[in-house]
Amino acid sequence: MSRYLWRRILQTIPTVFGVVLITFVLFNIVGGSPAGLILGKNVTPKAFEEFDEQRGFNKPLLFGSWTKTRALEDADFRNGPGAFRNVRGAVWTNGVLTLPPGRYPLPLAFALKPSSDWKLTMEGRVAPGTSVSIFPMIGKISDGFSNDWKKFELIFQSLEKAPEIEVAGGVLELKGVQLRRKTAHFFDSQFVFYLRQLVRFDFGISSSLNQPVAQLLKAGIWPSLALTVPIFVIELILSLVLSLVCAFFRNRFPDRLLVFISVALMSINYLVWIVAGQYWLAFKWGWFPVWGFESWRYLMLPVLIGVISGLGVNVRFYRTIMLDEMYRDYVRTAFAKGVSRSGVLFKHVLKNAMIPVVTNVVIAIPFLYTGSLLLESFFGIPGLGYLGVNAINSRDVDVVRAIVLIGSMLFVVTNLITDILYARLDPRVRFE
Amino acid sequence: MKSAPLEPSKPEPGISLRADAWRRLRKSRLALVCLALVAVYAAMALYGEGVYYWFQYQDRTPPYQLQNLSVRYQAPNLLSAHPLGTDGLGRDVLQRLVQGTRIAFRVGLATSMIAIPIGVLLGCLAGYFGGKTDDVIVWIYSTFASIPGLLFILAIAMVVGRGLMGVYLGIGLTTWVGLCRLVRAEVMKHRTRPYVLAARALGMGPFRIIFNHILPNIFHVVIVTFTLRFPASIGTEVFMSFLGIGVQGEPSWGTMISSARLRLWQGIWWEMTFVTLAIFGIVLAFNLLGDALRDALDPRLRTSES
Repeated sequence: MSRYLWRRILQTIPTVFGVVLITFVLFNIVGGSPAGLILGKNVTPKAFEEFDEQRGFNKPLLFGSWTKTRALEDADFRNGPGAFRNVRGAVWTNGVLTLPPGRYPLPLAFALKPSSDWKLTMEGRVAPGTSVSIFPMIGKISDGFSNDWKKFELIFQSLEKAPEIEVAGGVLELKGVQLRRKTAHFFDSQFVFYLRQLVRFDFGISSSLNQPVAQLLKAGIWPSLALTVPIFVIELILSLVLSLVCAFFRNRFPDRLLVFISVALMSINYLVWIVAGQYWLAFKWGWFPVWGFESWRYLMLPVLIGVISGLGVNVRFYRTIMLDEMYRDYVRTAFAKGVSRSGVLFKHVLKNAMIPVVTNVVIAIPFLYTGSLLLESFFGIPGLGYLGVNAINSRDVDVVRAIVLIGSMLFVVTNLITDILYARLDPRVRFE
Repeated sequence: MKSAPLEPSKPEPGISLRADAWRRLRKSRLALVCLALVAVYAAMALYGEGVYYWFQYQDRTPPYQLQNLSVRYQAPNLLSAHPLGTDGLGRDVLQRLVQGTRIAFRVGLATSMIAIPIGVLLGCLAGYFGGKTDDVIVWIYSTFASIPGLLFILAIAMVVGRGLMGVYLGIGLTTWVGLCRLVRAEVMKHRTRPYVLAARALGMGPFRIIFNHILPNIFHVVIVTFTLRFPASIGTEVFMSFLGIGVQGEPSWGTMISSARLRLWQGIWWEMTFVTLAIFGIVLAFNLLGDALRDALDPRLRTSES
């Protein structure tokens, strides 16, 4: 047993890692920094940099020694002078930026962080006898220049004063300029930043609400559970009873009717239930409060809608489980020895059908936590579903990511617990 | 496959799997009605596609976007110019409904076109090769399966950006898991069947065996999954468009519900009602058709999962 236990626990590690990886790919690699969308256009690059710094977006994705900075966007002079258009003395013509002898401050959007290493990569050429250096930093690199177009690098440490390119003795022609910051170490990356956050259970800060995500999650979980647990329990009991009715009247009128109603219920869109329920039951007939979360009465309508909208799927599912059991040998034996129909159904079938039912129930538990996206936002229940929908609408990456992560982790853990329970109950499982 | 319908050497010309399934399907009147309903919807979608491209080609405002405030909030009247009434900007509800059908079909097909190849390919590889390949693929799909579905879809759509592409990718990239699992299990069953062993003994490569021999035998799984996924995808699209993450600037059922919801409070019931009916019809038709197809294509698989 303990061997099985360990093996099963170890099996969850790749899944957990996979979830972390997927969220990373989704939000960091595909999504990238949401700074532009969240802060808007009328914000200084410095604010962007701070936003990125706080969320680790100013690091390389997986690993690397150098990373981009918002202080100087990559300039490609083939397309235009870019940020260098404001550099006095620099001339841009036909895709080439020309710097006559002199000093040219880098057109930085904000002062570089002091005492970090920077690398300036320039693609250019010089007339013979020209020297190029960074002022007031050390190191001339005119050796790197030649008459041909070539890429060369200047590495310098930033001081309080803005760095300047110093050209002497000739003309420097440039095709492109890139500025990179040296990372703290090779693996100082977004991925490692993310992992470290997770290890500390730090889910970041909501960009739309300006609160730590952990706090928001804590506040949202109880309203969510207050909504989802009653839905879950009522729906479970109701659909089990109805599926037993189906099994009892298998292929006769009540069964057919129930199956048809189930399919019909499944086919009505969730939104319609909500809109119609809110309009007629709450607004027109005034049976329930329309919106808000003040007492248990506010939960009644959402729970009712939740139960009805999920009932069809569940009845069909449990009916299949019940009917699956009905074909077993032990049922035939029970009938043969004269057990009544209801006796077979409630004593034999229901008990054995409990195994798949329990699986289904346990699998549903993590989803109780994420709440109901729609019900909560429609009825103004301040749970995690409400939080999630709002976060998606305002592109609040940290909140979405945290809800996705925790939901997945709960799923993995409940799955693990089910499997372990199974192994305890049924020794055959261990040897599969 | 007990009746071995594919054997050509029978004295009586055997009936192909497909013909057999069609014969079974035809027996169910309900399934035929559903099939006809789906065909009607498909025709509507095609017509909507035609209208859409025609007006785009002519660079004119299409009728479903034509605003005319003098005829706003017209109640449905079958004999008038607007048989299903008009909305708050005087736009024809019927025309918008047809456009919604177009979007729904696009979503249903596009998401399947993303999810089915992924699911089938990974499922076949995992089931046929087993071992390390299987481990990796099982790892991938169990990872995907453990992420809460709707939230995952919405998160993908959020990252991709508002619009239809986000809907396609969000739904497509998350719903291949179930199919992959089913295909893998079926391929595993077939891997040791005599016909596969024979093909292998003849020296055929694994990919030829998988795609030419095994896949046709398990394709019913794909068909049934497709018919059951289609309405589910439509439902998700409606939901996403309703939330404002999906379709932008075009009439989709979700955006129609979203705007009709507010007008419902003023007693403008028709837009809401007709959209509801439209969604109900297609989802019901596909659900029933899926069940019938499952029974027809593989009697052993009963209506087991939703």
